[in-house]
Amino acid sequence: MRYLALALQYRVGIILGLTLLISALVVPGFLGLTTLNLGLDRASTIGIIAIGLTVLLIAGQIDLSVGSVFALSGVVSIILQPQLGILPAAVVGILAGMLAGAVNGLLVVGLKVNSLVLTLATMLIFRSIAHWITDSQPVSGIDIMFSLKVSQTYLEIFSIRSALFLAAIVLLHVWLTRTIPGRNVFAVGSNAVAAKESGIASGRIIFLSFMFAGGMAGVAGVLQSLVTNTGSPVFGSELTVMVIAAVVVGGTRLEGGRGSALGTLGGVLTIGALTVAMEFQSVPAYIQQVVSGCILILLVVLDRTVHIRPGTGREPARAVQPITQGGGSA
Amino acid sequence: MSDLVAAAESMKKTERFTRANWVAELASRAGLLIAILAVIAYGSIANPAFFSTGNFVNVLTSMSIVGIVVVGMTFVLVVGGLADLSVPATIACGAILSLGLQPMIGPVPAFVVAIALAGVIGMLNGALVGYAGVNPIIATLGVGTVGLGIVQAAVGGVIVYGTNPASAELVKGRILGIPTVVIIFAVIALIGHFILSRSYWGRWTTATGGNYSAAQASAVPVRAVKAGAFVITGIAAGISGGLLGLTLQSARPLVGTGYEFSAITAVVVGGVSIMGGFGSVPRAIAGLIFVQLLTNVMVLEGVRTPVQGFVLGILIAGAVGMDAALRKRGGG
Amino acid sequence: MTGNKFILAMAAAATLASAGWANAKTVCYVNAADSHAYATPANEALQARAKELGLEILSLSQDFDVQKGTEQLNTCVARGVDGIILWPLDPQAYIPGLARAQQANIPAIIINSPVSDDAKPFLKSFTGPDVYEEGEMAADALNEAMGGEGSVVVIAGQAGNGTTLGRVGGFMDRLKETGSKIEVLDTVNADFDQQKALVMSRDLITRFGDKIQGVYANDDTMARGFIDAWKEAKPSEKMPPIVGINGQKDAFESIRVGDMYATIVQSPAEDGKLAAETIAKILDGEEVDDRLPIPLTVVTSENVDSVEPAF
Repeated sequence: MRYLALALQYRVGIILGLTLLISALVVPGFLGLTTLNLGLDRASTIGIIAIGLTVLLIAGQIDLSVGSVFALSGVVSIILQPQLGILPAAVVGILAGMLAGAVNGLLVVGLKVNSLVLTLATMLIFRSIAHWITDSQPVSGIDIMFSLKVSQTYLEIFSIRSALFLAAIVLLHVWLTRTIPGRNVFAVGSNAVAAKESGIASGRIIFLSFMFAGGMAGVAGVLQSLVTNTGSPVFGSELTVMVIAAVVVGGTRLEGGRGSALGTLGGVLTIGALTVAMEFQSVPAYIQQVVSGCILILLVVLDRTVHIRPGTGREPARAVQPITQGGGSA
Repeated sequence: MSDLVAAAESMKKTERFTRANWVAELASRAGLLIAILAVIAYGSIANPAFFSTGNFVNVLTSMSIVGIVVVGMTFVLVVGGLADLSVPATIACGAILSLGLQPMIGPVPAFVVAIALAGVIGMLNGALVGYAGVNPIIATLGVGTVGLGIVQAAVGGVIVYGTNPASAELVKGRILGIPTVVIIFAVIALIGHFILSRSYWGRWTTATGGNYSAAQASAVPVRAVKAGAFVITGIAAGISGGLLGLTLQSARPLVGTGYEFSAITAVVVGGVSIMGGFGSVPRAIAGLIFVQLLTNVMVLEGVRTPVQGFVLGILIAGAVGMDAALRKRGGG
Repeated sequence: MTGNKFILAMAAAATLASAGWANAKTVCYVNAADSHAYATPANEALQARAKELGLEILSLSQDFDVQKGTEQLNTCVARGVDGIILWPLDPQAYIPGLARAQQANIPAIIINSPVSDDAKPFLKSFTGPDVYEEGEMAADALNEAMGGEGSVVVIAGQAGNGTTLGRVGGFMDRLKETGSKIEVLDTVNADFDQQKALVMSRDLITRFGDKIQGVYANDDTMARGFIDAWKEAKPSEKMPPIVGINGQKDAFESIRVGDMYATIVQSPAEDGKLAAETIAKILDGEEVDDRLPIPLTVVTSENVDSVEPAF
């Protein structure tokens, strides 16, 4: 029983291990440096956005608009290149992402509305803006050589993207576990009312979490646009689902209050490894969907089993609660 | 323990309207009606083609397919199940099977089997959400992904064509000048409305969404009720998909993409609370009518597609904002 | 997680293993989607032809997501394949990935859709129909049907999608180029979806009514949507000339009964086959042309019985 409990606790690690093991057995030459480099690079776009969403989910909120913000930031960073130059334009792109996040945060906290529906609305709005400013045409950047530089591999393992992702996830881990603001996020997510009563400014934390999530989506979008030298309004339309899946596979709960940076790392790497392994074997996309969907369901069901307290057999009352209690400080 | 306290705390908040607050209730109902009338008025002035029987029949026909999903989705929101994101998969299941099985078992059995299988997908969702307590977003996302994958694998990823033109004529035909799909939609909406407002099941649904623990304490089979909402949506989406397949006479795996968001949009704009415990089928359909008329006017006026998305986004944001404001006043 | 030595050992094993494959050449095929009316038969034809030619195909599906495709190019390079066939969904975004392939000495060709001229140095060839040319041919067909003047609506695919850009761009440019007096009333995006096309066509018909003297749909499924909408709204009136693209069976039927004026056949089987043959030639060290078109046939009521539908 104890081993079982332990296994359940480290289920993300186990799934990741199993994925790697099976891949290594089935795919010849899977556990090589190139695969590692590739898997990391493939995972980093999802990963960078997942970092923002991890914080947001822990705070008890969700953001469906990250895919649109991803596209919008990328478009902004490319469209401004001729006027501002590459790096300043990239910074403006990231700022645009933060601004989009701030809009989400302001509306959720200010109007005290459910973030699921609100970000569904802003998802449409941000995507429309991206189409609007580009007239639905992909825009290309000014210097393709720069793109090649950005996407280069260093030390045979890291691309700029994947190094950034790994560094950020370590920082996030430290921040969430070692600092007071980090712990306050958990407090807000598990019980916004109680958190407020104990003097935590939950509204502000939620607002900042949204801004952070928007900013990270912006970083990922700008990097994607720099790597491909293209800003396109259709980028990232499938991303949101993948990112949410990665974060949830990593054990972060949509109900808020629980989650970890390392779990997200595990989730992101699992999805990255799975994608690369299945692509190496030419597995059709729809079978890939079935496999990743099954893993998602398996892990959330396991997650539920761990947290139904032994003896009572009843689900905790929180489970019936919607993602959030409006602005959290109502 | 603090979990329970928090839950109870927020339950109180989700009680949207107290009896003393029927004014707010009235305002929110009238608000939507006024909005619909305003769109009609504007449309009639702006474009002579708008106020015509032909155009209204168009709008009705166009909204019927998504409307059937809206009826199901209303149950999901009212029961506190947030949203069913597996709708694209269930629609695809309905459309592909109702066409693909035609040569083997005939059009009517094919239609029935398609809907039954869509119902099975709904049952999976229901089991995960109602009984295993998994968050609905994740559960329906996962089940939808797997379901769509299986459907695609089953047909090898290509388009399935209809082989029975008679069935298509039936669905595309008109009865007393009203398109058949509109009549089917109206019947389903009436049944949905009856179940939600007049039956035990409906009362249980509202109670479960309003206050889960209290409903459980008063012997409401909360788990079954919650699971039931997803089964209803599965079946509704299956019917919708079947009709879609029959009208188009072709079905591809991605035929249902976007319907989940259209349905949620309509329900939310109709003022059904995403927090659960409040809402009715007529409200959701009013929301749908408003969205559809608005889109119709925008297309008639030649508004570009991106701008339409923008306006729709603003509309949803406004609707949830209003919902929150009313809830706040209603709950004290 | 694992010791360095272990990784190194595995890497060594991988190198050996890949050396072992060198006999059967592996080609990475980044396709548009696994599950699509046109792409699926094209993929199948490509696979079948490659097998005959003794090539191993590593098939990756972008699922119409450009971002995914740009990353899949990296997978191909990392996999150390012998050649790459790319189905581009964007004119620009793949260039850095193609450049990386070139650095790794992997020859690459593109299939089906064009890319911008900046990508030329990194490509050996472009095989397949030219979506831009299809737009031009559609313009010519419609011009002919309408006697060079009148007003039309354009039902386009997804906004921002490469095929849409080509098919609309070619159409518009050609009208201008030939000095046609055809005026475009409106262009709507129906995302290559029959139902969306049906709904939008109803609105277009309400809005423009008899001003619609011609229709250009970016593919046959959307043309079908317009036909159904017209029959609903004006059952007794004559259908305006409609030009679609793809050459589906369904469209052939419509042309026979006079609902459609023309479609442009591009055969997915030819498309896939040509790409496989071209990459095989390149791997054998032969020189190939940088542009290898597949035949595009305009089908009208005159030749509808002598041409095979594409799918």
